[in-house]
Amino acid sequence: MKAQERLEQVIDNIEKVIIGKRNIAELSIVAMLSHGHVLLEDVPGVGKTMLVRALAKSVGADFKRIQFTPDLLPSDVIGVSIYNPKDMEFHFRPGPIMGNIVLADEINRTSPKTQSSLLEAMEEASVTIDGVTMQIPKPFFVMATQNPVEYEGTYPLPEAQLDRFLLKIKMGYPSSKEEMEVLSRSQISAPIEDLQSVITLEELIRLQEEVKLVKVDETIRSYIVELARHTRTEPYVYLGVSPRGSIALMKASQAYAMLKGRDYVTPDDVQHLAKFVFGHRIMLRSEARYDGVTAEEITDRILAKTRVPVQRYVGQ
Amino acid sequence: MNSIRKNKVFMAVLYVLVFLLLAEWLTPVMSLTATAHKSLFLIFIGLGLVMALARVPWWISGPVKIVYILWFIVYVYTGQAFFSNSSIVFLWSDFTANFIALTSQNWAETTDIFRTVLFFALLWMAVYLIHYWVSFRLSIFLFYLLTVVFIAVLDTFSPYTGDTAIIRIMVIGLMLAGLLHLARWIETHRIPVRIDKIAVYIIPLLFMVAASTAVALYLPKAGPIWPDPVPYITSFSGEAGTGPGTIGRIGYGVDDSQLGGSFIGDDTPVFRAEVEDGQYWKVESKDFYTTKGWRVTRNAGDKFVYGNEEQVDTDFTPGDPEQETTALLSMEQEFPFVLYPYGTKSFLMNETPDYEYDTADQRFDTFFEGEVFEPELYEVEFSEPSFSLTALQETSVEDLEELPAEFDRFVQLPEELPQRVRDLAVEITESSDSVYDKTRAIERYFSNNNFEYSQQDIPVPEEGQDYVDQFLFETKRGYCDNFSTSMVVLLRSLDIPARWVKGFNEGELINSSDGRDIYEITNNNAHSWVEAYMPGVGWMLFEPTIGFTGSSDVDFDLETGETTLEDVEMPDRPDPLQPEEPEVDAAGTGITGPTFRERLNQFFTENKAKIVWGLIGLALLAAILFKMRSKWLPKVLIPYYRTRSGSAQTFEKAYLRLLKQLDLYGIKRRDGQTLRSYAAYIDSFFGTHEMSRLTAAYEQSVYGGNSDSVNWNELKESWENLINRTSG
Repeated sequence: MKAQERLEQVIDNIEKVIIGKRNIAELSIVAMLSHGHVLLEDVPGVGKTMLVRALAKSVGADFKRIQFTPDLLPSDVIGVSIYNPKDMEFHFRPGPIMGNIVLADEINRTSPKTQSSLLEAMEEASVTIDGVTMQIPKPFFVMATQNPVEYEGTYPLPEAQLDRFLLKIKMGYPSSKEEMEVLSRSQISAPIEDLQSVITLEELIRLQEEVKLVKVDETIRSYIVELARHTRTEPYVYLGVSPRGSIALMKASQAYAMLKGRDYVTPDDVQHLAKFVFGHRIMLRSEARYDGVTAEEITDRILAKTRVPVQRYVGQ
Repeated sequence: MNSIRKNKVFMAVLYVLVFLLLAEWLTPVMSLTATAHKSLFLIFIGLGLVMALARVPWWISGPVKIVYILWFIVYVYTGQAFFSNSSIVFLWSDFTANFIALTSQNWAETTDIFRTVLFFALLWMAVYLIHYWVSFRLSIFLFYLLTVVFIAVLDTFSPYTGDTAIIRIMVIGLMLAGLLHLARWIETHRIPVRIDKIAVYIIPLLFMVAASTAVALYLPKAGPIWPDPVPYITSFSGEAGTGPGTIGRIGYGVDDSQLGGSFIGDDTPVFRAEVEDGQYWKVESKDFYTTKGWRVTRNAGDKFVYGNEEQVDTDFTPGDPEQETTALLSMEQEFPFVLYPYGTKSFLMNETPDYEYDTADQRFDTFFEGEVFEPELYEVEFSEPSFSLTALQETSVEDLEELPAEFDRFVQLPEELPQRVRDLAVEITESSDSVYDKTRAIERYFSNNNFEYSQQDIPVPEEGQDYVDQFLFETKRGYCDNFSTSMVVLLRSLDIPARWVKGFNEGELINSSDGRDIYEITNNNAHSWVEAYMPGVGWMLFEPTIGFTGSSDVDFDLETGETTLEDVEMPDRPDPLQPEEPEVDAAGTGITGPTFRERLNQFFTENKAKIVWGLIGLALLAAILFKMRSKWLPKVLIPYYRTRSGSAQTFEKAYLRLLKQLDLYGIKRRDGQTLRSYAAYIDSFFGTHEMSRLTAAYEQSVYGGNSDSVNWNELKESWENLINRTSG
């Protein structure tokens, strides 16, 4: 399929820069295709910024970066109107949010006020300043990074805001072999500089429309619902996955199916994405933390026990 | 979770123990209610448990059980083939009869069949409950306790003896409770189920049960602290004597209208006789032959009432007064009449009853102050009649024509009697002249013409078939009823008056002192023989049945030697088959209960092993086939799906079938495993790519909703290849 080939090219392109993280690249594209945003959770220096930059370059998109600090104000994110003494009028100076691909670095370092301004923009894909609503250019894709919550000096994101991210991804360290490869490639110059775009923004927008047409059979829908329902009854879980989470899983699965060259979703797609979609949506009880159980483990447990539908859906 | 409940071997062991425990319940119930067919009930229980164990869905197990119950009813109550019109008619008529009885609240009118169904329903319920206890609750203690209480109560208050049963129950119950406890323990601690581990856990349990049983058996046991409670309790109720639950006494049957069928022995004692020599004990005779059996012509004779020691007048004049002797009869079973030997003169007993003699059937009914009286101990004075051979030789056929009208009923024959019976009588007696010789010729006929004495596999005459004709020309096998009835009919066809006599033969000699013998006469000694009228001489006893020695005492007062030779026929007879139990409690002689139940009993006892083993074999075969279905099922499936159309629907079915086969083969798909990862595993297992290929097509068809793209004919080969591997 053509769409698949194009997307494969994007991934290959990213792989030139980020070594051994094909899965992360795929997930980023999945999120982008389904109008979602990604929360990257990891320690600094594993290539989060590089990933976003590579992605932006590959699709020929405008790349913006916001470094979140405790003293960052909402206007630093969305922009501000400045009085111009020449024509005696206020002129809007767009903030860094007004880009195609935005990297919100260390989002949990800033105050909740600023965080929410970003998240509102993500949800609405528009900003409102001084009563004027301005559309953020399309496509709009935010990749936020956050340090693991346990680190000092962080403001954890509230549950409602976490829900706005389609996927939460952990990068993880490269293997030693991959790290050696990273070293050798970075010796002369950063490879990101040589990256060419392989897909236009118009194409990307068209693919985003196509993703919506990927078939989700009744069986798959029932499977997704079953999975979501199970998260709500797990003993360790304080708050399960909301219907918004179910929608997110379906949309992500559609994009992933397209990435794999199919025009229909299979349970494998759902299973593959469930961990990334549910991971930040499952709120655990404190007992879980004492027992060392993570949301990802809970998701795995639910995947193992939920019966995969293998027959035609006949209703219940 | 890999539950212990899913371990078939473990569960099978539990169910076998449950079956044994249920069998212990059934045993006293069957014996106390004198119900037969215990094994068939056990099979029902076993069937229920096996189906519960195999998790057979209710819509299969329910009908199977219902069919079994219906089959049981048809088999036991009619003996007919199950799949026949008559059995359906039988079931339907019984159903309507019971339905009417129930709706009109006439509880007493419900039939045995209805009660049988209720009993089955009870068993069904019991099996279900225990299945629930064992499979879901993993707890049996309550039932175990109830069983012990049940047996203990029965042992105390009923004739049932639970001495060994209680030991069996303790062992079975302890094993069961122990295993279930183990199962619960494994479940609560989430211990992985491994059958070898379980075996290790079971060893101490076995040891404990064996040790405690052994200790309990060998420990000295104190005598009962209290006296037997039953007499104590009955003394309060003022009803000392027999306790409740006595086993049903076999009654004296009077219905001989349907002869035939097989019987088994019944050595229940009927009475004891203290005599000088063994006698034939006559009860009564019957005169009207119906082509199927015998009836009595009512009001055909006169009644005479005698008292104690009063000379009675039977058709047999007592013999030489010097030969006079007495017989002392002590009854073990009670009848409202007296049994009497040939040549009886008078009766004597402590009570002073009336002996009412009816010449119609020659029976002495006993009455005391107008009420029917059942004698217990009485003395009979008699002298065996003797007949002059000279006089017998002179009995001529012409004299028969001059007999008075009262003899007409002794030459009665049904019009339907086949001509060949009459022809046979003529043929047998062709060379004899006197009536006596003709009668003897017929009496001897059976011992020389390949007739066989047997109590088994004797048919009942069918509709339109004559009982005698069937015996003489078709079966040539039978017992006393066949022989005696045939002789009477043959004699009558020659216009020789004859009647069919019921009673008991000598019985078994059990003690002897001072020239007096004590015989015990049991139901096995019920017998039938023949009395024929010799014109000018009188009634005489004849014994046509092979192996029996009863005869009239003939005085060889002839001078000519030739006829004596003819008369010394005794050595010609075959030796008695089994003198101690030669005759059966045939329906014809009517000493036992309903005929067909006896017949079925016998059939069942004879073939019990066959039936049980046959059913076990069948069940085993079915179980093996089921267990081995992964081996043979592909052979069935491949040709089946080969012929099906190439639609996507067929493909989906075939694919799901393949999944099942792979599961049977042992490659289980986990609940959370997708088809794709399963297919990848299958392919890596078999070293193929076919499963992934099929799965891709299946996914496209089911998840993609694109069934048009599926081409079953192309996929068929891959499918066959895989399904063949599963049978390898």
